[in-house]
Parts: sequence; structure tokens; C-alpha cells
Amino acid sequence: MRRSLIFFAGFLALSTGAFAATQGTNTNTVSPTLAISATIQKAVQLTLSAGTTAGISHCAVVAGGGPPDYTMNFGTVDALGINNGNCNKFAPTTPGTTNAIYWSDYTLNPVYTSQATTSASTITAYVSANFAGPNINIVRTTVADQSTVPANAAAFSNMSTSAASPDTIANAADMTAAGSGGTLNRFIGVGIAPTNGAGTLTGGTATVTFTMTIQ
Amino acid sequence: MVRARHHEWTQLQPCSLRTKHGPALVAWRVDSRIALIVLILTGLLAAQPAAAQRLRLRQAPGGPTVAQAPANDYSMSFGTMNALGLGTPLAGVSVAALSNGALYFFTYQLTISGLAAGHKAGVTIYVSTNFSHPAALVMENCPDTTACTAASEYSVMSTSAGAPSVIVAPPGVGNSTVTAGIGVFLPDNDGASAYTGTDTSTVTLTATDLNTNTVIGTAVIFFNSPAETVQDAVQLTLSTATGGVTVSPAADFAMNFGNVNGLGIGPAAGLTTVASAGGVIYGTPYLLNPAFTDFTSTTGSLSVYASKVFAHPAVLHLDDSASSAGPYATISITAGAPTQITTVAHDRTSVTRYLGLFVSNVNGATAFTGTDNATLTFTMTVP
Repeated sequence: MRRSLIFFAGFLALSTGAFAATQGTNTNTVSPTLAISATIQKAVQLTLSAGTTAGISHCAVVAGGGPPDYTMNFGTVDALGINNGNCNKFAPTTPGTTNAIYWSDYTLNPVYTSQATTSASTITAYVSANFAGPNINIVRTTVADQSTVPANAAAFSNMSTSAASPDTIANAADMTAAGSGGTLNRFIGVGIAPTNGAGTLTGGTATVTFTMTIQ
Repeated sequence: MVRARHHEWTQLQPCSLRTKHGPALVAWRVDSRIALIVLILTGLLAAQPAAAQRLRLRQAPGGPTVAQAPANDYSMSFGTMNALGLGTPLAGVSVAALSNGALYFFTYQLTISGLAAGHKAGVTIYVSTNFSHPAALVMENCPDTTACTAASEYSVMSTSAGAPSVIVAPPGVGNSTVTAGIGVFLPDNDGASAYTGTDTSTVTLTATDLNTNTVIGTAVIFFNSPAETVQDAVQLTLSTATGGVTVSPAADFAMNFGNVNGLGIGPAAGLTTVASAGGVIYGTPYLLNPAFTDFTSTTGSLSVYASKVFAHPAVLHLDDSASSAGPYATISITAGAPTQITTVAHDRTSVTRYLGLFVSNVNGATAFTGTDNATLTFTMTVP
């Protein structure tokens, strides 16, 4: 019994003092822990940039920091296609009757993460704020998701001005092909109608709103 | 049994004198014609000087036991100590962790008696036998003018009998009981002067009648029962770095990156994002605060591993870097092969490190949204 007590006392004297994982005495090591927590969320990002299609001119897409997020300037235009504008133009098929088209390519850059499904994703666009005059409209390729260089003025149509029924400029197949982080080449321009008289616009701006939905 | 045998003795004044065998009473003669007679009350073998009778020590409320030995000797102890002030000290002993060590201290009471009417006494103290390891243990004194309950009230005790430290300063006190403090400072002590083990010390107190400038009592305190024990100590804490995510105390610490996403959009306060293949890294600085004492080595090593990985390890994992811009390296998930942070951590010198949270940008079936948790275990080892 006495020997046991002596052994016990010796054990106590030599034992390590442990008070918490952050500290200790009569020892040379300590191991505190750090609990890390995070909540991961879905994220989407759609950016625009200047087009890169070979063989044509590219209007600059300038990031504005929003709003507007981006700007594109077609320069000085007219309904007869006399001015060159800043990028490309299609003169009217029938001057004085049909529209002149000033246009450019541009690039859509969709990025999205933590999305469980992506197979039905789309990008749409519509004119959320139109020009003030009736003789100028935002146009896009008649085939809204066309990625090849349009051949002539007839290849363009007015862009939707309805938020409820925007133009689908990238359908599910386009989105799947591009994937997150890919690029989509599209075309946009302004159509100048050969109208005269009151209300004819000689300058102005319009706004196009793009919507990417990942689903 | 003692009796007064002559009418000349008008009073037997009890004093605090102790002998080897017990208390005695000293009688002062009031008749100038008769010599002083000392009466022995109980088994007196050799009387102590009258001066030693007038200073007694005793336990203060809440203080440690003050054991009185023969003569006017006392024994006290601070018990087991460490220079980081970790753990619970001996009963009645307080500890204050300081920026350069730890002070263990307690209060005790001194009773001064036997002074003539109107006289006042002062009390001094000095280390009469210092510790064998004076770099590791330093006796400290607290005078009766303060509460002696805070480290700032203590100062290094003199080791010189000729220039002792003061407990009761002039003009002194009359017959009364005062409270003072005594402490042991353990400085941070790594390297060649590091010491762990036991040690002993002795201090001597002297009470002086300031009216007559005569010593009226002495007392000796032996710090040897049990011997003072110095242990080495280690401590590693984490804290928030300037501009970083908050490190909150939990079991043991916690850090919340908040809402994150694979694109690094809108990082929360304290976070910066760094592009990384397959996703993004949210990074934050944090502080590792090592402290260690009484080791022969002046440096320690710090390592880390993920002792609990995220439930979705393909989407989230933890990275380590020495700078905010990276490069970040994935933190090991193996206890046996942790990620080395540094091998030259110094005592009480914070290490700024960057913790990265990699968030995958994966979509589809393996995508994950929601809250996830992981645990890092840091280890400091001082060789």
C-alpha cells in the first residue's frame, strides 16, 4: 500500500499539466484547433466584350461600371449608308425605302458555378430603353443566336423591346456548347429608317438588357 | 505555573517571544533598585532576544498557509509555477500572467507588538538566501501601503541586508497588524538560462523601533515547504489579424468565411480573392501567437493539418500561404505529415499567416451549395 502511494505521488509529480488544447505545462507541445465554416452559394456572371470575328471591324465594348454596365458606340450613321460609322455597315438595299444597318460583333462571356443543372440555360436580350425617335432601332441577327457573320442588311431584324418576351440569343444548346467560362459570338447593330418629318431622331442612346438564366 | 513573588512587580507583560520550546513571558522591573528578572513559564531552555518577540507573521484572509517553525521562523510556498502563468496556482496564491513572465504572489499579515506608548516601528525585508537559479525565480515584495493584489504593486526584493526593501516605511506604525505581499516573478526564460525543477529561498524581515532605532523583532521565511517548482510551459493561441476575418474563441477557435462562391463575387469583410485553377481562393490573414518558456531552445516549430475535412472536399478545401497574394498550398490532411508553417517561431512573437479557402466552380452533379465545416489542428513543438 505504501509503495503504491509513493508511486502515485511520483506519477503526479511527473505528469503533464494540461489545461486546454491551447496550453500546457511540463510538456513541449500544444495543439489548438480552428473550426472553419463557410456557406457556399451559387454564382452567375455574364460579361460582354468586343468581338473577335475575323474579317470585320469590332466596335469597342467599354465597361462602364454600371449603370450602364457596358457601352458600344456606332458613331455617326445615316439612313442611306453614306457615313461609315465606327464599325461595319450594310447600305440599304433600296435607298430611301429600306434601312441602313450599322453593326458589330460582340462576345458574351457566361460563367456560373455550383449549379446543379445547366442543360436548360439561356441568354436573352431585349431593348429595355429604346431610342427616342422612330427612325432608329436596335437590331440583331434575324436568327437571334447566329454566330456567323451576317451577309447583308436583310440578315438583321429589330430586337425585342419586351421584357416579357425577349430574344433568345443563346439557347440551351448554345450554352451547353459554350459551357461556363466559354464565349459566345453574336451581332448587334442599329437600323436607320429613311423617314423624314417631325420626330426624326438625329442622335440618342438605347439600352439593351441581357439576361442569363442557368437551369 | 508562574507567580509574582515580590510586591515590586506590578506587572507581568506578555510578549511575543518564542523559544525553541514554546512561549515565554518577560517581566520588566519597575523598582530601579532591583535587577530585571526573567520568569520562565514553560520548559524554557534558552531565551531569545527580546527583539524577536515583537514581530509575528500569520496567514492573511485568503492567503496560503503560514507555518511557523521553532524560533521566529516560518515556512511558505508558492508551489508549482510556470512563466506563462498557466494553470491553477497553489491555494491562496494568485498568479498574474505578464508580457514578459508571470508573477505568483500572496498577502500575509505582520503583527507588531511590545512597542512603548507613542513609539512606531518600520519593517524591512531582504532575500537572505536567494534561489539557486536567480535568472528563473526572482523574489518580489509589496509594501503595506497597497492592497498587494495586483502585479503592478510588487517590485524586486533586495538581496542586500544593508539595503533591504521596505514593507512598513517611516513614520511606521504602532502596535498593530498590517498586510503586505510577497511574490515570485518567473521571467520568460528560454535558452541557456532556462530552468525547470525545484529551488528554495529564504527572506528575512526586520522590525525596528523608529523612535529608538533599535531592532525589536526579526522573522525568517523559508520558501521550501514544499520547494518551489518551476515547470516549462507552452501556449499557442490564434487571433484576428488587422484586416482579416475575425478569429473568435470557441473550442478552441473559430473562423467563419461567410457566404462564398466559385467566382469570388462579393467576398465578405476581411477576405480577398485569388484566382485558382478550377475555382477561387478566399484568403484572410490571421495571427499565430506562440509562447513558451524554460526551454533550452529559443525557437519552436508550427505546423497545421486539417483534422476534419469539409464534407464536400471536391468543392472546398483549405490552403496556407505566407502572403495574401499567394501562392497558396493545400493544407495537409495527414496528422503524420502536417503542413509546416515555420521552424523558427519565437516566444511571444506573433506569426502572420494567410488561410485560404478554395471554392470550386464546378457545376452539375458534384456541385454543392450550403454550409460546410472543417477543422484545422495547429501544433507547436519546442524541441
